[in-house]
Amino acid sequence: MLEFRKVEKTFPGVHALKSIDFRVDHGEIIGLVGENGAGKSTLMKVLYGAYQHDGGEILINDRPIRFSSPREAMISGIGMVFQEQSLIPNLSVMENIFLGFEAQFVRFGVINWKMMAEAARRQLEKVHLQIDPKIVTSKLSFAQRQMVELAKVLTLEERVDGDLVILLDEPTSVLSKDETKLLFKLIRELSSRASFIFVSHRLEEVIEISDRIYVMKDGEMVATVNSKEVQVEQIQQKMVGRAISLEYYREDKQKPHSCEVLLELQSLSDSAHYQDISFQLRRGEVLSLVGVEGCGGEEIMRTVFGLGRSHSGKFFVKGQEVTGLNAGQAVACGMGYIPRERKIEGIVDGMSVYENMTLSQMGKYSTAGVLKIKAEKEIAKKWIDRLDIKTPSVNANAGKLSGGNQQKIVISKWRSGGSDIILLDHPTRGVDIGAKENIYEVIREMCADGCGVLLMADTLEEAIGLSHTIIVLKDGCMQHSFACAPGSKPEPYDLVHHMT
Amino acid sequence: MNIEKLRSHFPWFTLIVLGGLVSVINTGFLRPESLLQMASDVSALFVMALGITLVIYIGGIDLSSQSVANMTTVLVTVALPVYGIWTACVVILVGGFIGAASGVASTKLKVPSFIATLALGGVALSIGAYISKQQSVSMDSEMRQQNFSWIYGATARVPNEILIAFALFLLLLFLERRTTFGRTLKAIGAGELAAVASGLRVSRYKTAAYAISGMLAAAAGVIFAARLAGGGPNVAEGFLLPAIVAVLIGGTPLTGGVGGVLNTMIGTMIVAVIRTGMVYLDLPAQSQQFFFGLMLIIAIALTMDRSKLSTVK
Repeated sequence: MLEFRKVEKTFPGVHALKSIDFRVDHGEIIGLVGENGAGKSTLMKVLYGAYQHDGGEILINDRPIRFSSPREAMISGIGMVFQEQSLIPNLSVMENIFLGFEAQFVRFGVINWKMMAEAARRQLEKVHLQIDPKIVTSKLSFAQRQMVELAKVLTLEERVDGDLVILLDEPTSVLSKDETKLLFKLIRELSSRASFIFVSHRLEEVIEISDRIYVMKDGEMVATVNSKEVQVEQIQQKMVGRAISLEYYREDKQKPHSCEVLLELQSLSDSAHYQDISFQLRRGEVLSLVGVEGCGGEEIMRTVFGLGRSHSGKFFVKGQEVTGLNAGQAVACGMGYIPRERKIEGIVDGMSVYENMTLSQMGKYSTAGVLKIKAEKEIAKKWIDRLDIKTPSVNANAGKLSGGNQQKIVISKWRSGGSDIILLDHPTRGVDIGAKENIYEVIREMCADGCGVLLMADTLEEAIGLSHTIIVLKDGCMQHSFACAPGSKPEPYDLVHHMT
Repeated sequence: MNIEKLRSHFPWFTLIVLGGLVSVINTGFLRPESLLQMASDVSALFVMALGITLVIYIGGIDLSSQSVANMTTVLVTVALPVYGIWTACVVILVGGFIGAASGVASTKLKVPSFIATLALGGVALSIGAYISKQQSVSMDSEMRQQNFSWIYGATARVPNEILIAFALFLLLLFLERRTTFGRTLKAIGAGELAAVASGLRVSRYKTAAYAISGMLAAAAGVIFAARLAGGGPNVAEGFLLPAIVAVLIGGTPLTGGVGGVLNTMIGTMIVAVIRTGMVYLDLPAQSQQFFFGLMLIIAIALTMDRSKLSTVK
């Protein structure tokens, strides 16, 4: 009933969906898996109308269709249950369920609340949720909200003539085992009324619930498997795909690290995102934190840089214990942070290349607060040459350059200032291949210069290729630590095994 | 030429067109005497607008300037017999203190800047009203002569207040373009989160910007008081709107990060030309705020970079 034929989607610099073929039949439960950045969420967004495809066609019951907004997709029977829940917490459950579709209860311009409550109760029965529809949504537990979200999507049944396709994005990520069981029971029950697309990192669950599983990698659909006859490991291998080329990650340049400890965490915890994290980062070492989205790695990194707070445990920088660190002090200790949200936290759009490069170390290029702009421009030119940054001049607006060049500017911001503890959060996200290799080269150089690098890589291959040590995180806890000397590196599916 | 590039030339263009129109209405407009008169009339406004520029440059807004200036006219008159030649310094520090309080409220207590400055503006207004007992106060003419002739006098037939305003302008231009302070303000305005992630002490710099804005508002109050030989709790009434118009029409958008004090100089000239034009056209003085109100909306609509805003509240 729903079919993608050679669907394409391109963003500036990124080919996110490459000739995707995808089918959902009536009453089917489809699994969709892939690594972070494989294109799953882009595919979902095209499907529920948040993005528009720019090649190929989408068919519903063999009729080509194009959604210009999520509302249009809903009217055609595509419902989305969001990972970050889309319910508005200060509205009642029934108001949320019928948000944007209140017209059916309006008599003479006034909403008939009794009628809405009655209708909401019928929806909640579908998901076996016994709550008062007038209750304020924020009072519900997370699992209950998930059910309300599902009930909201199921209102499409009454509104849509054709069949229903419901997208579930990581629906079990915050549910307990029992709650997950209940959800699966419900999905099976509802599959007589609707088809489901189930996106998850938890492969056992995907195999359990789905009829068929699609595997994505690098924007392509690399495999379709029947879940009756597949093992977790087989899917993992397909997700990870091609063999890694050694040269690509400059493994020949990976030198043993020194013994000098730059950073040390001793059972560091914050209340929400990570627990009991301990590791050491040494001079010349690349240490990767690996895990699925929401594993806590990003929060650990932000805590280390003083942008987040820990609640217990100890934290040492170059042998000194630090507490209540802020970002300014972190920079003074020699740390540099290269954030994932490059456009928001990395580059100041509207400032020139040289202004961006010296931003964190203005003290070095000024006397008594007066800037030495000439010196700034010289250092900028030096780093433009050194990292092969493509920019019309040092005065160009850094916000207008390509992602790879922006990333190199952020890297030179820290390197030019002499930072030796470098925190890299997805440094190659949205960067093309050539620029990626440059960035790998720079990481190797940093290690050779005696920096320690804490990395959250964009892909598992990247983490394995670059690192001396890999720590696998799951739900904020350390699962396993791998030594990654050249020649004895772990395989990606060794890691995936601990991640999911 | 795309629209983005044209946008930055808009203020110049507006000034020249308006100046041309007004000089057609009245050919006397371009005579040096009338230009000097016009400049000295807007000097205090310009000083106030310079302060507001810094705050808008970092993406905030300062609505307390007029009230701080009002308060200062009272304070400077009352304090003159006590502090003599140092009076100006003392009251400017008081203005800076009120500005810093707005800054702390906005950075530490996370009160939106328009509320924080509105609230502290109310505080300043009350202080002025309380000290003056709601009356206008006046200076002893001999003391004024001794201590403030450097403000209301003239040097080589140029009124001193123009020179003072120009000196402050040069100082701020230097701060903005040549110092780590100015660079940090620009980074905060253009990308506050990136400034934080670069380890800059954003809260301190923001507070400093508010404090300087308060000091300049007080300086504007000192100029008023010296000129009028006294003060009152409402003498700066009607200055806030044209000052904000001057900043925005000069090309510093509410989102911050671009523009600056040079733009405000052009913006102030535009305001001055419009005022003069209205006088030539015999439009009543009360209608000024009517035009500036409309212009404010137009200026914001034209200068706003909508890509930076997700929703407008």
